[in-house]
Parts: sequence; structure tokens; C-alpha cells
Amino acid sequence: MNPDLILNRRSFLTVLAAGAWYLSGIPFMRSRSVCAQSLPDGSAEGLHEVMFYRKLEDLKIECTVCPKKCRVADLERGYCGNKENRGGTYFSLVYGRACAVHVDPIEKKPLFHYLPGTTAYSLAAAGCNFECRFCQNWEIAQYRPEQVQSINLSPQTVVDQAASRGSLTIAYTYSEPVVFYEYMYDCARSGRTKGIGSIMISNGFINEEPLVRLCQYLTAVKIDLKAFTDSFYRTYCSGELEPVLHTLTVLKRIGIWFEIVVLIIPSLNDSPDEIRRMCRWIAEHLGCDIPLHFTRFRPLYKLTNLPPTPVKTLDACHRIATDAGLRYVYVGNVIGHPAESTYCPSCKRVVIKRMGYAILENNLKGGKCISCGFPIPGVWEPPGKL
Amino acid sequence: MDQTRRRFLKTAAMLAAASPLSVVARMVNDPSDGAFTPRTHKASVVIARRPSVIHDNGDIDHGVLASMIASSLCHMTGTSSVAEAWRSIVKPSEIIGIKVNAMGGRPIATHQTLVAIVARQLIAVGVPEKNIIIWDRLTAELERAGYTISRSNTGIRCFGTDTEYEPQIETAGSVGTCFSRIITQCDALINIPVLKDHDLSGVSLGLKNFYGAIHNPNKYHDNGCDPFIADLNTHPYIKQKLRLTIIDGLRAQYNGGPAYKQQWQWPYGGIIVSRDPVAADAVGTACIEEKRKEQGLPSLAQAGRPPLHIKTASARGLGCDDLNKITILRV
Repeated sequence: MNPDLILNRRSFLTVLAAGAWYLSGIPFMRSRSVCAQSLPDGSAEGLHEVMFYRKLEDLKIECTVCPKKCRVADLERGYCGNKENRGGTYFSLVYGRACAVHVDPIEKKPLFHYLPGTTAYSLAAAGCNFECRFCQNWEIAQYRPEQVQSINLSPQTVVDQAASRGSLTIAYTYSEPVVFYEYMYDCARSGRTKGIGSIMISNGFINEEPLVRLCQYLTAVKIDLKAFTDSFYRTYCSGELEPVLHTLTVLKRIGIWFEIVVLIIPSLNDSPDEIRRMCRWIAEHLGCDIPLHFTRFRPLYKLTNLPPTPVKTLDACHRIATDAGLRYVYVGNVIGHPAESTYCPSCKRVVIKRMGYAILENNLKGGKCISCGFPIPGVWEPPGKL
Repeated sequence: MDQTRRRFLKTAAMLAAASPLSVVARMVNDPSDGAFTPRTHKASVVIARRPSVIHDNGDIDHGVLASMIASSLCHMTGTSSVAEAWRSIVKPSEIIGIKVNAMGGRPIATHQTLVAIVARQLIAVGVPEKNIIIWDRLTAELERAGYTISRSNTGIRCFGTDTEYEPQIETAGSVGTCFSRIITQCDALINIPVLKDHDLSGVSLGLKNFYGAIHNPNKYHDNGCDPFIADLNTHPYIKQKLRLTIIDGLRAQYNGGPAYKQQWQWPYGGIIVSRDPVAADAVGTACIEEKRKEQGLPSLAQAGRPPLHIKTASARGLGCDDLNKITILRV
């Protein structure tokens, strides 16, 4: 038996509690047919104007928040489905309208080098600028705002609730926060005035200008790198690879903390050659200290004909990444896997021992390994007030 | 557990019958005899135009419009009375969904008068009022277009899909979507779109109107909505249930769609009727192209938005897009 999987009674109870927390943490509004609030009618009253777009002839607009650059005619919506052109002005239909809210462990995002053991007040609004065939949250991400149940939650209320629940962080997650940019931006800005950080859990399909502007208020970012081929992005996500890689390099340049997650899907993005090229690119362009998480696929949404990822495939990806020089490589969605934990690159000892979303040991002090003093990169102290 | 082969087969058959998929399977194997199929129906389109259908004050003349519909249906079906025509299209026992287009608001929505006449003619041939559902994507849009909302089980019903989509994903070619529960519950569909231009797909007529029946139309706007519109229309929920298309051209719009743009609207004063949804759209497109030319505007292709989906729909076997092969009757 793998000694890493042996649990004492305390650890067992810790993991059990974290598991129960997770199960209760299914976003509270997943049902579409309960009582969707009606959106503001054809007028602009009560709507929030989009920050990044430009006006065109005949009341058309071009959205510039993401590389899709949707050209949208009057009364039409962009690809995300949650912004609408009304008389030549582009409005967000989800500003202040959260369709999923919950307090999650930060490890669920996953961010492993960011305030471990703390919680994130997590929220989503309907819509996405991708359509991944394996979408995990398609019942909110692939629906339009009027088709899902939502509650009104102003940015100030979000910050107040996060604070009252003891969360150090607000997470924009579950769907794609780039498409509710204005809401996220205002929440993040308000949060920073109270010392509450903000993290964006994103596909990284965002233009540079809005990204840079947003990052002044964010404290960390997690990017889902869906694959390392453009054909995968186009075929299975309705997206493109290059803009996502550009986002990663911009995050590196800005200096904000970020981690990368790759969902490994059997036969589609799991070839050793592709993983090797990806890891080499990360090492060369982002450095070897960027945490890289390989997570296990489970069949969902439109991709139900493939099996869950074999653990041995994830192990192979882990080996390739390590061989490429990456220092912090993780395996996700496999509870009890040794690569859930963080190891010191210098003395090889466990610095953060995890089981699922539970922290079993934290052997960091001041961001350094307590055994050898090696500095482990990450965000280990809460952000100050701006 | 000891299970005999017979018991196993019996259980399997029961499970199959109870499966939601079996509904689709039955529809595919047993197409309703009223549904249009290009093999059995020659493509014909009837255009009925009467300048007098629109009064000087903008009101629609109920009597003139009723006679336009009656005349169109009789010519199309080769029958001598409107009742006989409707009986050849629907059965009184069926639940009939009348899909309108309300998204642009009252000035560019399907005219209520037209829908009301169709509903009355259906009732006259024995369709119970409660079996008629006038619907579109959102109740709020129907209200803004002037429709009176009713969910009563005793009279004609009128409401939007709102949040009521089927939970399972249905696939039709390149389209994967959840359908409106209204369309899945109807036995027959009468499609009454508006004759209008569209910024992406060139035109928004009958085929495009079914974007109002799915939960994620915004995902299918690339490449002028092609092949998505055509693929969507191949799904049995539409293909096997659609009995008739009546394009509302009383007031039409030849540019700037799909939203209402007063400067490009014109009183076409007509309806375009066909059992072939592709032929109806092809003829409707020709009307818009003709008007654009008359007004000195570039063709839809020159404007960068040729209605590719109509040709694709023809290639998918949904009907005929060749104007030279469509019998056009003007009444």
C-alpha cells in the first residue's frame, strides 16, 4: 500500500469534513427551471454598460473584451450570450446578478500556492466565450442569463458577505468571468479597499488591455490551458490557442501570481509529444516556478463518449513536466495521489500535504520550507488594503 | 439473479419505451403524414399581396388578411375551402404550436392579427382552443410585441419558453442544444416569421426563426449562421413537426435587421406561404433582394452576408432553394 495514502484518525476526519464541505458546495443555483428573474426590458434602465467595446455604423458595436471580437447588431448578443446591444450601446445583462455563490476552499480552484487552507467566496454569472464540449458547469456557463436562476448581489454586498464569512478572497469562477468583466472588476476593486483579494478562474481568452487593467485589482489568476494545439481549441472549445498563450505571457510580465491547469482528456490532448511541447513552452516563457496541475477528465456535457482519464496517463504527464524542469507539478481530481502535495525542490520533503481539498500539513514558514529554508514561490500572506 | 432471456428482452423493451430517446425514435420512424418531405411534395410557394391590407392609419384589415390566408392555403393545397385546406395540414386532435417572431418589438414582430386569424381558422376546423400555443423565446418579448399572455388550460395559450428547456442535450449536425419544452410537446408547428433582413445570416425568415427554440442560439452565429441554421432544422422536433410556413410580410424590412429600423421598413402588404420551408425562405430572400436593388443597396452577398443557410438547408434535404424549380403562385 502506498504509504502516502495511509491516514490517521485526525487526517481521516479532516478529509471527511472537507469532502462534506465540497458536496455542500455545489453552486446553489444550478436549476434552470425554478424562477428566473426577468431581465430589464428593452430599455437601458438598470443595465450596466460594457467597458470594452467600440461603436460601429448603423448602431452596431464590436466587443473588445476578448479575442472573439463579436460584431453585434442592434438587439443582438455576442457569443457569450450575456451582453446585448440596445440601440448601439452594449450592455452587460449580468452585472450584479450572480447565478452561483458559495464559499469554497482555495484548493478547489485549484490554487495551491495561494493562501493554503483559506476560503474563497466564489461567484459566477451566466455565460462563456467558449463552448467546451466537456464543460463542467454547462448548466450555467452555456446558458443565457434569463434562463438561469440568479440573485441580485451588488459588488459591495459581495465584499461584505466575503468578509462576514471569513473569506480572504473573492473568486470569480464556475463559468467564465471574462464575460462578466464589469461585475468582476467592480467587486475586485471594492474588495481591495477592505483587504480582500480577488482571483480569476479563467480560460485566459481575454484581450491584453482589459487584462492589464483588471490585474491591478486581482491578487491571483488560474488559467485553464485546454490543450497545446490550436486545432483542439477550435474543434472542442470554439476558441484559439495563441491568445491564451499571450495571456500567460502578459500575466508573467505583470508579475501577478498565477497557476495553470490542464484537463487531460484521453486521446484528445494527452499525447506525450503535446505535453512535452507544452511543458517546454511553459519553462521557456513562464519559468519553472509556475505551478502546473494536470487534472482528471470525467465525461460531461457533449463529450460523454470518452472514459475518465486513467491515473497512469496523469502520472506520465507529471513525469514529462518534471523532466522539463517544472518544479511544482500536481495531479488533480485523484484523491490521495502523492502529487496533490507540494514538495520542496531543494530537500524534497513535503511542505504542504494535501488530501482532496484538505490541508493535512503545512510546513512553510514565511514562504520557506521549514526543513531547509528554500523559498517556495506563491502568495502566502493576505493582501493589504489598496 | 436468475433472469431468463425472455424476461431480459421484455425488460429491455420496457426500458426502451420509457426512455426519452424513444420519443425521438418513434418520430423518426413514423413521420407524421402532414410533415413536408421534398420527395412527396412539389415545392410551391404562394404569394398573396393586397395593398389594401394596411389602412392609412397603419391598422391591418382583418377581412382582407383573412381572405389572403384563405386564398393562399386553397391554392397551395388544391382545395376549395380554407377549412378543407387546414384539414389537409393539421388534425384537430393535435397540439399545434404557432411560432412567431417577437424579438424586435411591436413594429417588427409577427402581426397579432395574422396569428389570430390562423388560430380562428384552426378552431373552425375543430382544433380545441387549448391545443393552440402561440409561442416564442421569451414571454417578455411577446408582451412587448403586444401579445396577450395566457397560460390558461381552457383557451388559446400564449407564452414564451423562458426557462423551460429540456434538460438533455440534443444533437443535430453541428448543433448541440437543449430544446424548448414547448416545441417538444407540440405535435405540429406552424411557423410565422417576419420578412426581414439579418445582420449575420442575410435574412431572418422561417429557418432562422427556430433559433428561438433553443437555449444557446448565441453559439451559432459564426460564418453567417451556416451550417447551424440548416442543421438545427434537420432535428426531428422541427423537421417532422413543421407543417406550414407563413412569412409575415405585411410590413417587411430590407436592411438593418433584425432590430426594427424605420428607415428600411416597407409596407410589402403580403404573405408568403409554403409547406416547403426552404422554398419559402428562398422566395422571401428574393423579395428582399429585389427591394434592396430598387433602393440602390448592394445585394446581400455584396454586403458580405449571403444567406448561405438556405442553400445548405436544401443540401440537407429540407426543401428546394432553386427559384427556377419552385412553382410560385401569386394570388
